Amino acid sequence: MQQPSDVQRLPAEQMFRAELEALTAAETRPVPTGWRMSPWSVRTYICGGRVGDVEITPKYMGNERLVEIAIATLLTDRALLLAGEPGTAKSWLSEHLCAAINGDSTRVIQGTAGTTEEQIRYSWNYALLIAEGPSERAMLKSPVYRAMEDGAVARFEEISRCAGEVQDALISLLSEKRVSVPELHLDVPARKGFSLIATANTRDKGVNDMSSALKRRFNIVVLPAPASLEAEMRIVQSRVAQLTSHLDLNAALPAEDIVRKVCTIFRELRAGRTLDGSQKLKPTSGVLSTAEAISLLAGSMSLAGSFGDGTVGDIDLAAALQGAVIKEDDKDSLAWKEYLENVMKKRGEGWFGLYAACRELLP
Amino acid sequence: MSGEPVFFGVRHLSPAGAFHLRRLLDDVRPQLVLVEAPADLEPLLPDIVRSGTQPPIAMLAYTREPPVRSLLYPLAEYSPEYQAMLWAREHNVPCRFMDLPSDVFLALSTGDGIEEEPGDEAGEEDCAEEAAGERKTPDETGPDGESGADTAGTTGNRPDGKDEREAHELFWERVLEHAADGESYRLGAAAYGKQLRLREETENRGARHEHAEARIREAHMRRVIGQALAAGVPAERMVVVTGAYHLEGLRNVPPLTDAELKALPRRAAACTLMPYTSYRLSSRSGYGAGAKAPAYSSLIWQGLHRQEPRWHARAYLARVARFQRQEGHPVSTADVIEAVRLADALALLRGSAVPALPDLRDAAITCLGGGSLARISRAVADTEIGTLMGTLPERVSRTSLQDDFDRSLRDLKLERFRTPVEQGLTLDLRENRRVKSAKSAFLGLRRSFFLHRLRVLGISFAMLRDGSTGRDEGWNLRWTPETEIELVERSLTGNSIRQAVAAHFRQTLDEAGSPAAVAAVIEEAFSCGMSTELHRAAAALQAVSIEATELGDLAATADRLSFVLRFGDVRRMDTRPLEPLLQQIFLRCCLLLSAACDCDDKAAEPILSAMDSLDGVARAHAFLPEEFWLRALDDEAERDEGNACLSGLAAAILLERGKMPDDRLQRLVRRRLSPGMPVDRGAGWFAGLVRRNRHALMGCLSLWEDLAQYVDSLDDEEFKRALLVLRRALADFSAGEKNGIAENLAEIWGLGGAQTSEVLNAALSGEAEEMLQDIESFNFDDL
Repeated sequence: MQQPSDVQRLPAEQMFRAELEALTAAETRPVPTGWRMSPWSVRTYICGGRVGDVEITPKYMGNERLVEIAIATLLTDRALLLAGEPGTAKSWLSEHLCAAINGDSTRVIQGTAGTTEEQIRYSWNYALLIAEGPSERAMLKSPVYRAMEDGAVARFEEISRCAGEVQDALISLLSEKRVSVPELHLDVPARKGFSLIATANTRDKGVNDMSSALKRRFNIVVLPAPASLEAEMRIVQSRVAQLTSHLDLNAALPAEDIVRKVCTIFRELRAGRTLDGSQKLKPTSGVLSTAEAISLLAGSMSLAGSFGDGTVGDIDLAAALQGAVIKEDDKDSLAWKEYLENVMKKRGEGWFGLYAACRELLP
Repeated sequence: MSGEPVFFGVRHLSPAGAFHLRRLLDDVRPQLVLVEAPADLEPLLPDIVRSGTQPPIAMLAYTREPPVRSLLYPLAEYSPEYQAMLWAREHNVPCRFMDLPSDVFLALSTGDGIEEEPGDEAGEEDCAEEAAGERKTPDETGPDGESGADTAGTTGNRPDGKDEREAHELFWERVLEHAADGESYRLGAAAYGKQLRLREETENRGARHEHAEARIREAHMRRVIGQALAAGVPAERMVVVTGAYHLEGLRNVPPLTDAELKALPRRAAACTLMPYTSYRLSSRSGYGAGAKAPAYSSLIWQGLHRQEPRWHARAYLARVARFQRQEGHPVSTADVIEAVRLADALALLRGSAVPALPDLRDAAITCLGGGSLARISRAVADTEIGTLMGTLPERVSRTSLQDDFDRSLRDLKLERFRTPVEQGLTLDLRENRRVKSAKSAFLGLRRSFFLHRLRVLGISFAMLRDGSTGRDEGWNLRWTPETEIELVERSLTGNSIRQAVAAHFRQTLDEAGSPAAVAAVIEEAFSCGMSTELHRAAAALQAVSIEATELGDLAATADRLSFVLRFGDVRRMDTRPLEPLLQQIFLRCCLLLSAACDCDDKAAEPILSAMDSLDGVARAHAFLPEEFWLRALDDEAERDEGNACLSGLAAAILLERGKMPDDRLQRLVRRRLSPGMPVDRGAGWFAGLVRRNRHALMGCLSLWEDLAQYVDSLDDEEFKRALLVLRRALADFSAGEKNGIAENLAEIWGLGGAQTSEVLNAALSGEAEEMLQDIESFNFDDL
């Protein structure tokens, strides 16, 4: 198929179409009802590997065990809740899971404060409803409804942003596994293969707690921040390259040294201790996620490309860093000062430029 | 040799091994059972299988003389060896230990590690000791290669070593613990052992020393087997229980000859049985790979007896759920059912029919813990490790800790205190230069270390008298039967006093929440002369103090650290690692000072003493960033918004350090004591100022001039309030100092000095007393 090049972002199943086809073609193991490929192939698709002569790129570079738990959960027809801090690839993983299992990751409900119960179950085309009365033609099926009909996996992004009562509309859907339409005397049972992947933020502000009744219907998998500095650097580097290849930034990709510094600072402040574990640090209120590191570097590239010499240097970095770290108030500023004095200053020569630049910017 | 005995290769803490071994024994009906355990520990056998004995227990062999080395052979209910011994007793069949005698073993293991000497400051790090302990008993830790792999990893906590160990563990469980029948277990274990051996040889993993040691042990076992065969036990009626790793060796290594056995080094050793705990069995307390999850292994053991292959999975998840419920967290049966299903699905995805520990734990985390291990970590620990403690029948059993105690008394010439009568002992910790050997030169110090260790362990032999200083200590010593009991109790936490103290510190550190509590551990470790623990506590302090925002607490911590740093020489400890720590805490104190100074007078009390001690700390150590401290004081002295008294004290400290020029002081005094300033703030500031270096202030006439002027400018109501505060400020001045002030004021008011002084120091008349009482009870809030 021809890929329209002016589309900003393609859904996963189109972007990695070749890999999915190769995996389906090479399938030898039993495929669960409603799935396009076996659980093992799904794992290969997510975690990377090789099928025949097709190289499968890893989509989720992290703990393979968590991916296994996620797949096994969907196998047991339980709904899956991917929880975690912002920027830990929750939506990314959910999209790719759907792409691999159904070849379609577009059955999505985007949770917002304005999401209503109708958007979860079904709503009506009111013009038709008035003209013809209730009929299937006048019904607008929600992604969950369609997934039930098709025996597929639906996605529910940012579930915790919805109001509690709207979230609870899911309870009956998930326990009964059927949706009833009293207007049409219709009762649609979910076909085999139906499931739901929801994502929820644990740290953002303005989220609603999920009721424990709903939580009980999910298997919860908490996605962690990358386990090691090298892993995080790898993710950051590859994503920065992917992201900026679409944008014309006029700047070279940041040097490994720069990426290492950013990842080190982020990891240390996030974990509240130095990488070697010898010192504890004050954590900051801001979420220093991997995604934030990626956008920070992209931002620095844009800064360097537009107003600098095209390579990301300490000064470009310092401004972005301070903005990322000091989010709230004096507390962050105190923590950052302590970090500069106690840790960064003592790191030696390679860090001195950054230290000086950061120090300069402090009030 | 005619035929080959029935070999059964096991892993030393393997439920499936124990189960299948018993079946094999039932089938073979041997006339002799040989078990891989040091031959000279055989006298312990009757007690091990006695009916009152409840595993986990451990056989312990230790050298009688320092340096102390010990070998530990833990036995759990599901240890194949233990079951073999039990079987032999039940069927009245002789059972013999065939491994190298422990006295040879102890002499062979000359590697570093378990060695320790009382008072030896450079004692090995604790975990190294334990690691070495494992290494010396490679056969209990695993079918041995595991410990071979382990040994390579003990030098550092390399993550790959850990992963590898976990991979081994998982492989073993998936393939062998859940093996379908005894024969496949036996063949599988043998193949596993063979591969480990092969790999060790090809990759040359593990130290050479270990290889050689393993060969010698195999030769000895071979020798015992040969002796038994020669004594007429038919080969097919003899069962040999050994680590799977050794199977190859038992077939190929030539037996040890008499001459060779004689040539081996020996060290006098003693042995005993001790109760063991499942916690010590588990790798969490430092004991190698063999029993990562003792309580979980127990579940497998029970499941095997029930003949239900998945019983352990259900039991595991049900137990986690029960624990959670007992702790008040709702967990429904539906959750447990989901968890069982998820565990099965995970096992399938990971290529196994029966869920293994990682599958179960993942399922528990996902379904019972809402995705977070932290929420169910205690339940998981309870289910995997458990709190089982073994028991031994009533009888005298001498523990190595008791021996260590006796040896230390002898060594430190303290034996005359072994009486029920209390006696005093005064120690001078400094070096005694009149004696020749280094050992006796520091006798006082070594005694002090030893007694402090006993004190920390709560062993009532030694009581520290009050009034001991950094250089001298007074003790009261008295031996009671309780002393022995306490020693035996403590022997569960370590094989020597040093180890027990280390374990105690570890536990205290885990529980300590505030910097002051951790600093207390640092001080204790310092008193006990345990530098490893000192450094560990220092790391913990760093971690705890980061969250601390209480200036008083932090200053007290800094003060304690400063004490340790100052007296480090006396106790001959390396306290350098504390320096950066003190530096950090000090820096934070400087940063926090300004915020802490915004408080009322009541809250200011602890801050006052905190500032005093911080200043002392700042002076005592040149490496501290003094400029931060001075700048913080500077800011505080100038700031009008904070607590007035604290601001005054800041000015006083600066003055004392000569950082406050006269004109600046004058400017500050004028501003603070100006009519625009509320009276209690002005007087409060003055009270803070005169807390320190009174003599300098006394000589500063202009200060008193300003004060006199200020008092003059007040109206009656204001004067009452000022009087109250000033009276308090000057209350703890000595008579001489009050005289000085009186003279100053007299000078200003143009009166005779002596006359004024007389008035000031005279007892108050009844009327004045009454007035003051009125003022004291005066409530400023009503104004």
